[in-house]
Order: sequence, then structure tokens, then C-alpha cells
Amino acid sequence: MMDLGSLLYLGVTFGLFAIFAWIVIKTYSRKNRDKNEVAKYRMLNDD
Amino acid sequence: MDTPQYNTDIVRSFILWSVIWGLVAVLVGVIVSVQMTNPELNFPPYFTFGRLRPIHTNAGIYGWAVGVIFATFYYIVQRLCKIRIWSDKLATFQLWFFNATIIAAAVSLLLGYTTSKEYHELEWPVDIMVVVLWVAFSINIIMTIIKRKEEQMYISLWYMMAAIIGVAILYLVNAAAIPVSLFKSYSLYAGTNDANVQWWFGHNAVAMVLTAPPLAMFYYFLPKSTGVPIYSHKISIISFWSLIFMYLWTGAHHLLWTPVPDWIQTLAMAFSLMLIAPSWGSVINGYLSMKGQWHQMRDNYLVKFLIIGITFYGLQTLQGPMQAIRSFSAFIHYTDWVPAHIHMGTMGWVSMIAFASIYFLVPRIYNKELYSVPLANLHFWLILTGQLIWSISLWIAGVLQAGMWNAINPDGSLTYTFMETMVEMYPYWWARTIGGVIFLTGVLVFIYNLVKTIRSGEKLAPSAVTAEGRA
Amino acid sequence: MWEKRPVLFLILATVVIMIGTTITMIVPFLSVNTEADRIDSVKPYTPLQQEGRDIYIREGCNNCHTQTVRPLVSEVLRYGEYSKSGEFVYDRPFLWGSKRTGPDLARLGGKYPDAWHYKHMAAPRTMIPGSNMPDYGWLSDNPLDPQMVQRKMEILDFPYNADQISALIDKNEMDAIVAYLQKLGSDIPWRKAAETTIVGEITNPYAGASHADMEGWEKIYKSNCSACHGEHHEGDIGPELIGVNYEDDELFQIIFNGISDGGMPAFGSLGTDKVWKITNFLKYYNEEEGHKE
Repeated sequence: MMDLGSLLYLGVTFGLFAIFAWIVIKTYSRKNRDKNEVAKYRMLNDD
Repeated sequence: MDTPQYNTDIVRSFILWSVIWGLVAVLVGVIVSVQMTNPELNFPPYFTFGRLRPIHTNAGIYGWAVGVIFATFYYIVQRLCKIRIWSDKLATFQLWFFNATIIAAAVSLLLGYTTSKEYHELEWPVDIMVVVLWVAFSINIIMTIIKRKEEQMYISLWYMMAAIIGVAILYLVNAAAIPVSLFKSYSLYAGTNDANVQWWFGHNAVAMVLTAPPLAMFYYFLPKSTGVPIYSHKISIISFWSLIFMYLWTGAHHLLWTPVPDWIQTLAMAFSLMLIAPSWGSVINGYLSMKGQWHQMRDNYLVKFLIIGITFYGLQTLQGPMQAIRSFSAFIHYTDWVPAHIHMGTMGWVSMIAFASIYFLVPRIYNKELYSVPLANLHFWLILTGQLIWSISLWIAGVLQAGMWNAINPDGSLTYTFMETMVEMYPYWWARTIGGVIFLTGVLVFIYNLVKTIRSGEKLAPSAVTAEGRA
Repeated sequence: MWEKRPVLFLILATVVIMIGTTITMIVPFLSVNTEADRIDSVKPYTPLQQEGRDIYIREGCNNCHTQTVRPLVSEVLRYGEYSKSGEFVYDRPFLWGSKRTGPDLARLGGKYPDAWHYKHMAAPRTMIPGSNMPDYGWLSDNPLDPQMVQRKMEILDFPYNADQISALIDKNEMDAIVAYLQKLGSDIPWRKAAETTIVGEITNPYAGASHADMEGWEKIYKSNCSACHGEHHEGDIGPELIGVNYEDDELFQIIFNGISDGGMPAFGSLGTDKVWKITNFLKYYNEEEGHKE
């Protein structure tokens, strides 16, 4: 028994999960893996 | 060398004032704690528990925590952006307006001018002062970030900017009221709506004042203190965005079993449990940053404060979600368990990180060695012991009273009257006062150490001026 | 790329913060405090009550008292009918509170007579031994400001008349707060509905109890009854109880259910056993005491 409300609810839930998955994949992608970690070294020499 | 000329005066001033307001918060805390056991120590009209308790919470949040936020953010933003703050004048204005606001807040609360909303008690004229203050701060920080010389924004800057936006939205919405006179206003929202807005504010004030900013400090001062970088930039990306997304759904866990619609309560409960993940993202990131550095827990007092602080953050963000579960809330809500939870966060997490940040900054700003590391260690053990006595005694009290409230005789009647349960609390309230006094002693040791450092500390040896130590 | 663009970052963060905010804070306005949860018998505060409410706020009573009864067994037994959204539509701000250092007050209205409140507010420990509530007797010294109260009623858009305003001249802050406390939770007729009707025959389980047995029950009387009926049943706020001549079962029912129009609270939540003990203590013990003195 799927009414509009529960479809919307499911849609939003999966939508949010998809966004989350996309962020995780993008963050951990080979392309970004090393680039992302540069900032943490640079902050040690910020003076 | 083209080292930017940083504004350290503003950092120094905010540190000193925040410490003063922090002392006031703890002192008033001890006073109201004694009033719980000795009602004859209420001196009406101004010095009653009902009027002093908001002064304790407001001094703690707006004087101490926000004061430290101003101090550390002005330091951090200049370093991470490699540029002086955008406007010295605006910052100086903000310093004096900050103190004026805190004084106006304390006086108006003593006089009984209060909205009654927790952590938002200030009446509308003082509310406007808070808004002006926050706008001045936001403009300065954001403009500094926009003009920065370092392209990539480090983790601390994200938490900082989220806090700036978050506080602005929360505070303005919850402040909406219709003034009756200079000292009195009525909330724009009524009843259940008002409750829902208030706890959306209340819980996210915890997020945007007592969580995101201390995390910004932690992510900056931990690597600076240990000399090794944070373990993972990637974990911090995931946990940052998840944290600021999830927090806003959870306010109604303060309103479980009240007339607020059930679906809001259920969402709040679910999101509170999910919040464990991003909270622990930061905890684990902190722990893993200590790989190969755990000896610094022994050698470096700063690291001790920071790691114990993040540990209490971890405990806090486990206990909080447990309390957000309906059945658990039904049992412990409205008892002394809840203040015990709050104080583990404020004394164990926020204040630990704030003390560490100040210990880090003062020697660098004054270009002097800390007067005494043994005293800093004594400070650490006093505040840790004080907080544990405080929280543990009231957790026991909360469970005891909850059990008595819910005890039912075989014939379906209540086993205890309210007063029979309340008088059982007195020994635990005394224990809480003892914990508070120990914590206060720790704060006094801290202040003594700071004053001695500033007055008579030895100049930092040139060799000690390392890359991160230059003021 | 958001890590390098502060303006983009600020926009993204705002959007992320606004999602949960919209769903859990803004959307509820569509359903809460609408016709759906209206209760017709719930009325706005009178000028005196509203002023009392503002004094309650000023003194920070909400720091120690909640005003919402949860739908839990022990809570409904202790305080009364659980709170409904429609009961709070005139509350600006809401005063549900977060800590019960003292008891919940959502159903306080009508529980005690006014005289009880005046005495209790002035000296809480004379009525409730062991209480840690501050004394508020000084409220009686403070007059009210009718003009200001009128202004408040205008702003809140509550109905009032000139007589109600001019009557405030003779009232003080204590009158106002007591009037407010007596209004709390009494707009729905829950007290009558919650009354226990006893069916069938009831028999006194302690009939013929010895003097020595009853001596031990005196402390139940002391902690629940003596504040109003006196240490030696001589009466004070409540009537004298020396020589009560109700039948056992009548007396039991009065104590169990209270007298809702007469200001006598119900003590059913103590359980039948304690109520029977009080009944016997009252009826059979005080005569003995008379002989002693």
C-alpha cells in the first residue's frame, strides 16, 4: 500500500543516502585521495 | 621574511575577558548549587535560584564559551589564512561591545528581565546587542577568509563558518517576539510551536556554540600541539557535512512525550542516533592522529587536555543519543541525570578544549614560557576530578529519583510521594557542590598560572620559537 | 572545490542547515495550533492570571518546575491527565521546562485552596517539610501596574473588561501568581473524569486496629494532611477533624478522591493501603489522643 506520502518519504530517504554515497565516493576517489590530504600538512606551517 | 603582521592584541584581550566571565560562570554555578541544598541562602528579589541559574548558564555559554570562541577564532583565522584580520577597528568594537553585552545580560537577568527560554533568556534589547555582536564577528571572520592568502581552507575554518551561519539563523528565529516594554516581550510563537522552535534552537545552540567551535579549536590545536598532522582530512570532510546536516533534525528529543507531534519526536530520535557517526568521526580522527605520539599524553600537558577533552566529547555524543531514545527519555528526563549530562559536555569537553587553547596561546602571545607546567597538571586533575564527582553523583541521583518516581504498588498506586523522592536527592546535591568547588579550585589554579606567566614568566628562549611558536 | 571557495561554502552550509530546519521546525507550523488541536473549553488568561504568569517567568519558576504531563502511567497517576497541545495555545512563551526539582505544575489548578498557596508561597517548608523552594512572601508587598497589564492584554489580544483592570489596584503580585497557579491545567474537566468510582461494598481492612498500630500511621498523616488540618487535627486551611463522624467508607472515599469543589486534593495516588491507614488514624486515633491530653 504505497500512498504518495510514503513514496515521498522513501524517495527523500534514498535521495539523501545517494547524496551521502556520492560525497563519500568523491572524497575517497583515486583522483582526490592524495590531493585532499595536502591541507593538513600545510596548516602546520601557517606562520 | 614577509610574515604577515597578525593582530594578537585582540586575541589576548578576548582571552582575558573570557577567563573573567568563565570564573563568574563557575562561581555562580557553585552558589546556585548550594542554594539547592540550603534554600535559606536565597536572597530575594535578586539572588534567588530562579534568577541566578540563568546567569550561570548565560555566563558559561555567552561569556566563557563565546569569549573563547572569539579569542581562538581570531588567532586561528589569521594563521590559516596567512593574513591579518580584515578590520582591527571592528574587532576592537566587538571586544568592548561583547563585555557591554555580557554585563547588560547579567544585570537584566538579576532584575528578572527574562524570556524564560533556556539559553535564550535575554530580553529583546540585549538580544539585539547579541545580534550586533555576532554580525560584527561574522563579517570580520568571513572577510578575512575571503581575502586569505592560502587557497585551501583548513578543517577548522569549515566548522568556524558553519557555526557563524548556524548561530545567526538559530538566534534570530528563536528571538522573534513582540515587545511590550523595554524589559518585556511575548514570544511570536505560542505553546507547542514555541516549544518546538525553542528546542530546535536549544539543541542546535549546543551544536553551533558548544560543538562546532570546540571542534574547530581541536582540529587546529591538536596538530599544533603534537607537531603531527590530523590523521585524515577525508574523514573530516565526511563527518563535518554529516554533522551539520543531522544536528538540525534533533531538537525535539528534548520534547519526547510532550504534545509536540509524534513524527517530529521520532525524527529527532532517529537523527540523534545517527549523529553518533559524525561525532565519533572527529573522535577517531583525533585518536588516530596520536599514532606514535601517545607518549605525548605524558610529556605534553596540552595534548592531555585535548585528548581527554575529545574523549569526553565521545562519551557525551554516546550518552546524548541514548537519552534521545523514547523509553530512556521517559525514565531519566526531568531528573538530575540531565544536568549531569550537560556538565560532562561543558566541563569535560568544551572547557578542556578551551583551557588547552588558552595554554597554547598565552605563551605565544606574551612571548613567555608558561609559569608552571606542574600547576597546569594540577589544574587538569582538579577539573577532571571535579567534573567526574559532579556528573557521577547526579547520574546516580537521576536514576534513583527516576526509579522512585516510577515505582508502583501492587494495587496500582504510586509507592512514593514527590517529596519522598526529592529529599533523597540532598546527599547527591551536596556531592555535586563538592565537585563544583573542586572544579572552581582548578579554575583558580589556572588563573594564578596565567597571571604569573603574564607578570613574571620567562621570555621564550629563541630556540623554542619554532615554526608554530612565533607570535 | 568548496574547500577553496568561501562564498560557495557558506551557501552550501546554509542549505544543509536549512533542510532539517525546514522539515522539523517550519513544517510543523502547518499543523500545530490549528483547528485540529483546538479545545473549546481552553480560555485565554484573565488580566490577573496573565500578570501572575509573567511573575512566574520573572522569578524563573520554570527552572525547577515543568508544566507538561507525559502520557506515562506513573506520571498520570502522580499529576493527572496528560497534557494536550490545545491546552497551550495561549502560552507565550511556553513554560514546559526541562527539570523537575519541584513537581510538575501542569495540573496544579484547583488541587489546593487559595489559602494553601498563600501559605506555601510565603513559607514552603511549613507546608512541605524538606522542600528546598525559596520563600516568596515578599511578592505580597509588590503592587500591580494596571496600565501595564492592560497593555499586555492588548498585545496578546486576550479579552478583558475595565472592571478586571481596575480591580488590579487592590491586588498584589502574590494574588496574581496564585490566580495563575489556580488556572493551570484546569480548563479541561479532567479532575472529575479521573475520579475513581468505587463499585461494590468496601470494607475497612484495619477495622479494630490497636492504638499501637495506629501510632505508626501518624507519620502518613503528618506528611500529607497536617499542613492543612493541623498537627492535632485542630484545623487550619482545612476544617477541624477532631471527632469526624463519617462512616469508614465515606471518609475513605473523601480522602481517596478529594473534594474537587472544596479544595481538598485527592490522595488516591497514595494507594488504598495508606488511605485506609489515614482513615483509621483520623477516625479512631484522635479520640484516644483526646483522652491523653
